[in-house]
Amino acid sequence: MLFAKKKKIAPTAGYEEKDSDYVLEVRDLVVHYELENETVKAVNQISFQLKKGETLGLVGETGAGKTSTALAILNLVPDPPGVIKNGEILVNGKDVRSMSPMELEKVRGKDISIIFQDPMTSLNPVMTVGEQIAESIFLHEDVTRAESFEKAREMLEMVGIPGARADEYPHQFSGGMKQRVVIAIALACNPRCLLADEPTTALDVTIQAQVLDMMNDLKMRLGTSLVMITHDLGVIASICDTVAVMYAGQIVEYGTLEDVFNQPMHPYTEGLFNSLPSMNHKEGKLKPIPGYMPDPTKLPEGCAFAPRCRYATKDCSKPLKPRYVSDTHYVLCDAYDNPQFHIELQRGGEACE
Amino acid sequence: MSDPILEVKNLKKYFKTSSGMVHAVDDCTFSIQRGRTLGVVGESGCGKSTTGRCIVRLIEPTSGEILYDHQDINKMNRHQLKRIRKDMQFIFQDPYYSLNPRNTVYQSIAAPIKLNKLMPGATKSQMEERVLELMDTVGLAERMINSYPHELDGGRRQRIGIARALAMDPQFIVCDEPVSALDVSIQAQILNLLKELQEKKNLTYMFITHDLSVVKYFSDDIVVMYLGQIVEKAPAAKLFENPRHPYTQALLSAELLPVVGGSKKRIQLTGEISSPLDPPDECRFAKRCPRHCRDCDCGMPGLVEIEPEHFAACHCIGDL
Amino acid sequence: MKEKELVSKRYRKRSQLGDIFHRLRKNKGSMFGLCIIILLLVILILSFFIDYNAVTATDLANRYQGPSLKHPFGTDDMGRDMFLRTLYGTRYSLSIGFGATLLAAIVGVIIGSVSGYYGGLVDDLIMRLTDIISSIPAMLLGMVIVSILGGSVVNLIFAVGICSIQYYIRITRASILAIRGQEYVEAAKVIGMSDLRIIFTQILPNAFSPVIVTFSATIGIAILVSASLSFIGLGVAVPMPEWGALVSSGRNALRTAPFVSTFPGLFIMITVLAFNVLGDGLRDALDPKLKR
Repeated sequence: MLFAKKKKIAPTAGYEEKDSDYVLEVRDLVVHYELENETVKAVNQISFQLKKGETLGLVGETGAGKTSTALAILNLVPDPPGVIKNGEILVNGKDVRSMSPMELEKVRGKDISIIFQDPMTSLNPVMTVGEQIAESIFLHEDVTRAESFEKAREMLEMVGIPGARADEYPHQFSGGMKQRVVIAIALACNPRCLLADEPTTALDVTIQAQVLDMMNDLKMRLGTSLVMITHDLGVIASICDTVAVMYAGQIVEYGTLEDVFNQPMHPYTEGLFNSLPSMNHKEGKLKPIPGYMPDPTKLPEGCAFAPRCRYATKDCSKPLKPRYVSDTHYVLCDAYDNPQFHIELQRGGEACE
Repeated sequence: MSDPILEVKNLKKYFKTSSGMVHAVDDCTFSIQRGRTLGVVGESGCGKSTTGRCIVRLIEPTSGEILYDHQDINKMNRHQLKRIRKDMQFIFQDPYYSLNPRNTVYQSIAAPIKLNKLMPGATKSQMEERVLELMDTVGLAERMINSYPHELDGGRRQRIGIARALAMDPQFIVCDEPVSALDVSIQAQILNLLKELQEKKNLTYMFITHDLSVVKYFSDDIVVMYLGQIVEKAPAAKLFENPRHPYTQALLSAELLPVVGGSKKRIQLTGEISSPLDPPDECRFAKRCPRHCRDCDCGMPGLVEIEPEHFAACHCIGDL
Repeated sequence: MKEKELVSKRYRKRSQLGDIFHRLRKNKGSMFGLCIIILLLVILILSFFIDYNAVTATDLANRYQGPSLKHPFGTDDMGRDMFLRTLYGTRYSLSIGFGATLLAAIVGVIIGSVSGYYGGLVDDLIMRLTDIISSIPAMLLGMVIVSILGGSVVNLIFAVGICSIQYYIRITRASILAIRGQEYVEAAKVIGMSDLRIIFTQILPNAFSPVIVTFSATIGIAILVSASLSFIGLGVAVPMPEWGALVSSGRNALRTAPFVSTFPGLFIMITVLAFNVLGDGLRDALDPKLKR
């Protein structure tokens, strides 16, 4: 059962040949922050690919390297202290790292855009929202000012804001509306790929649901690929096709949504699910992951999760290789060397514990 | 059965601003039974935090009564207040800002003991023993005794905050979003800790949060707030099984479940949130309400008991 | 009976002061500043061994001598040795700079705390008064005060001090306003701390680091203002070798003997620079949140 093939064919992650129909490819990405007397190892050898129209969820806790990955994709890692040590980042088959600043400017916004967590600070307070959307269109497309402004109105309508409000300033909008405006800016030039870094975390529950529904809808209509970065498994479940669970700068488990949510393999993924106050079981304690995140300047040898892992053995300090469970699902855990090994969490649909 | 440790009656808190009165908390009435947990849920700006702060008198309410153990907190003088504060503690949301950056773990935890002279004539080592005991209760390692908050992560800092609250052996703790700033795995650690402490010391909690899964797991009774008012009040199980107020229904339907195909049919809320600035005398949810009926503009609906222990404030509740 | 060993002793760490110095040491600029300041203090102490008569001794035969082994900084219009005079002047410049800043800091922090903590009408009144004072150029204000009181070291301290009070009022008020709203101040209230105790144990210590940074930076300004006042003849009395006065003494011969003004001028510049870079480093070192 566990190793059965999935019907759905999603791109296999890992280390295989170049395929040009990927919108985004990241290979062996390593991002470090080199401080005066220590090095923060934020991202350590991660690889993934994204097909047209696909949504990949990067899920993990603070310090897992999610945001550094997103910044690296746009070549926006603050330097110094950040350094992309290794890796290839191909946007539509072109390597971002070897681009000149001019080329980069063209790619950003046009081929790939990003939405940041806080809508309050990502808008310019002294420009109307219409101008801000129009600016991006004007920069990337061969249109007049007036045309770009017309398109901006259309974009606003598309994210569910009356076009007439294009002349208003950001402070006249509520938090959820602002995040819609940010999304409109990001989508203004119809990018093939959108990176969303915790786009709904700052929003209220009801507003979050609205924004996610809208993103789902836009994704379908425009065929945009999406990388959704979040710590919220609920958000992942409602929008993603594939999931990459990150821990200490590595992808510890990767698979389709069904793979990861119905048959989690990595002890960390198990821990994450066990930590959620279950919606259905009130009695009984939560089973949190003991301990804390490792210091990213002193990552343990081998498996970074081993010190918090209840299945850990002394073999866990050996270097790890991704282990394929099925075509679509891999896990970074050596315990599966033993064919008898399985984690205790067995989730069928809603049942937990 | 009925032994309320805290009763809040008609609590109002208005803030004066240049553009009018902000009705942050408007006429809230509820009570908490000893040894139980009351969850207060609502979105940002609904007045849940303000209510919590009024209860420990961090801010002075505009009007209303807050009875702790049948004594009105607002009528107390400084001396009485100081005594009652040993019983009532507060755990803050942000573990990054709720600790003085210049105090070590020891200083932060020992401060309430020294201030309230809880251990008169204690030697330094006795005091330290007590601090270590508290650190052990909340799961902080002994070696952190001289650490500064900035050297520790969010989960550990929140543990210091809890130890500080426990130092006075309180009966009642207001927890203002104690886990919202923490990662899921750490959040579960802290929730377990709070639950253990409740069992061990028979504590009463008022648990303020915006996270529905947390409140469902943690609370016995729940109060749902919207723009300064209580819209629904019921035991947790009842509220989640059968929410009656349209806002509660929308809120519960918006919860994202971490399961494949788990999202329920969402109730879409349209329209803008009304302003808490000098609100008109009508149902505050009316503008976004999917079940808008003609009575909605006629005065604010009061809480009505629709079934035993289940209250909701909606004009249309009878039409269901 | 011997008391049990304290557990906290076992985990004793570097003290907070030690920590601050450790962070300061990493900043090369401020270490340079600190070295210069220490060097100046050494000069100041050594200058007490200089015979005052040698400093004021005129030698009209050797006016405007260029720098030489005998007179490293040359001589001025009266043939006095500029080297000795400049070294001797350190005490005036430093004491005026330090004294004036200390005066300003004490007064300013008190007024600023009152203004920030109580707010309301008191705050409005204090802040408007501060606005008025800050709208008058520091030099002009200093000139007025010195011309009323007369030129002496003490009066100069007073005049220059008043000019810098406004910085302290503003900075103390601003940081108190910011800290007053912090959750840890509320937390202190919840555990039953009195208002006065909160001000002294929770708010002021956290409001202090910007004050220390300003202190270092305004010493530089104070030295400049006092030198400027002396330059236009409003400072200390003429034979006293205050640096500003020394620069002034060379101004008639700036073309023929530029060295007379240059050396004391360099001293002023280096001193001000040293205090400024030190202040810069202190700002980073004093922030407990900036660990790395």
